[in-house]
Amino acid sequence: MSVGVWLGNAAPLRTIRWLDGALATGAKFERAGTKVTAVAAGEGSWLDLASDRATRAGVACVGVATDIQLDYLGWAQVMAAVAQKLVLETILVDEASRPERAPEVAAIAELLDAAQLTNVVSLAPDGAVIHASRIAGSELMTCRVRGRAVIGVRVAGPAIEEYPTPTPSATLKRFDLPALGLDPIVLGHRALAPRATQQQRRTVDRVAEHLAVHVLPRTKGA
Amino acid sequence: MGAVLVHIDLDGDRPHPSSLLALAAGRAVASSWGATLYAALVVRDDEERERDPAESTGRIGGTTKQVRAIEATRAALARTGADKIVVALTDVTLAPLWAAIGAPWQGILDHLRPRLVLFGADAPATAELGPRTAARIGARLLMRARAIGVDLVELRDRDGGYVRAADGGAAVAMIGAARSAHQGDDDIDVLVLSLPGGADDRVEIAGSAPAEVANARAIVAISDDMAADKQIASGASKLAALLGAPVVGSSAAARTGAVTAGAVIERAAPIAPEVCVTIGTPSLDLAGCSSLIRIGGGAGKGADGSLTGGAAANLAQLVRALEEA
Repeated sequence: MSVGVWLGNAAPLRTIRWLDGALATGAKFERAGTKVTAVAAGEGSWLDLASDRATRAGVACVGVATDIQLDYLGWAQVMAAVAQKLVLETILVDEASRPERAPEVAAIAELLDAAQLTNVVSLAPDGAVIHASRIAGSELMTCRVRGRAVIGVRVAGPAIEEYPTPTPSATLKRFDLPALGLDPIVLGHRALAPRATQQQRRTVDRVAEHLAVHVLPRTKGA
Repeated sequence: MGAVLVHIDLDGDRPHPSSLLALAAGRAVASSWGATLYAALVVRDDEERERDPAESTGRIGGTTKQVRAIEATRAALARTGADKIVVALTDVTLAPLWAAIGAPWQGILDHLRPRLVLFGADAPATAELGPRTAARIGARLLMRARAIGVDLVELRDRDGGYVRAADGGAAVAMIGAARSAHQGDDDIDVLVLSLPGGADDRVEIAGSAPAEVANARAIVAISDDMAADKQIASGASKLAALLGAPVVGSSAAARTGAVTAGAVIERAAPIAPEVCVTIGTPSLDLAGCSSLIRIGGGAGKGADGSLTGGAAANLAQLVRALEEA
């Protein structure tokens, strides 16, 4: 069995704490004698950061250099191609660093015909079995996973205020899309149109509009 | 125009409120687009275990004990606007996991081939079923979307993603808000699909326990100084109730009574809710929040929104606006 840790296509939104947590979770497999490879895609500075944090966690890192912006299914195709090239059996996905990454768990699992488990908050390898606890609403569900699986993890590393600026790594193994059997033009069909940067909401009406999609539905009449 | 399909999670023997919200949004979209609105649910039926799979796979119609038991569900779905109900009968143990109910759900997708599939954003199975459904049908995916418009209804999410009637291709949306006004006919058709087997035995449920408060999907976090103000604490509590969130804070804030019982979170504890509203400047690591709103604590970098000025007045106005939304 070999394990991959998909770190995504861009640096974490607010903190590298969850990135470190995903890598530390991967390192548990390394300590159990399983080869672990972290995988990141995107621009150079992000690949350097991912490589630096993976090295500190004791995990090898692979980078896919590309400047295209893709949707969840496009990035899943990139990770699935890496998984096939490196023959990865189990893939951990850092779900918490960026909200748009959560759907990539299902998309990678679909492309690899693997089992999936989302919202996992703790995980322990045990031979051919992985013990995982996931959040399902207000419950903590404990599962045993066997065989090929893609697991979305929300495991925090230690709190960190500042970290050293990463430098280009000589140990980072780099792939481009053709080397993975991916045609950038075909992949471009999953490209995301550029979106305007959201301005911070500063009025009650705009904040209410933002929060309205999080309000619990009322049950009257149901 | 293709079908609009809404996944219905059950909360006991009734539709989950979040699924009904998705159904209300589906009604608005289907009426605007001229589509048929299907509400679909997966129901466990032990009779399926006894039936020969060769003779029952894909069976349509019929009434069973389980189908009779969903009469209350049928009325609620009809009143919320469903044109037809699809029930997938399965013999697998139901759980909010793709590994458990993915196969019967796939049977529904194969039968209807919908153009648009909606899930309630807060329904238990959505995190597992929604994105996998989108990936399986190669669809665009909208997170926490809402229906906008009156005659020409479209779905929009807060990241600028949208689905319109004229768009090509399939789409999947997790619905976070909708206006529910439909009062339809209780007597609508129920289509029963017999879809036994198909559980993915690579994932096995070993048990469950209540989740810790740090794992809540939404959190209202209050600072020690704000917690000491009764008016602000009351506003925080009302906002938390609307969001279905605990009010969290330090042990000092808890001593004022402003923090939900058992919801003390100390400084370095990691939290990663979908949305966090801070009141004042609580000493918490908020960096894992997908969405962050600050009230009365200054406009911090990285926040999606901030309300400066009097926290009590802002909270009162915000609660009123959300109650009316």
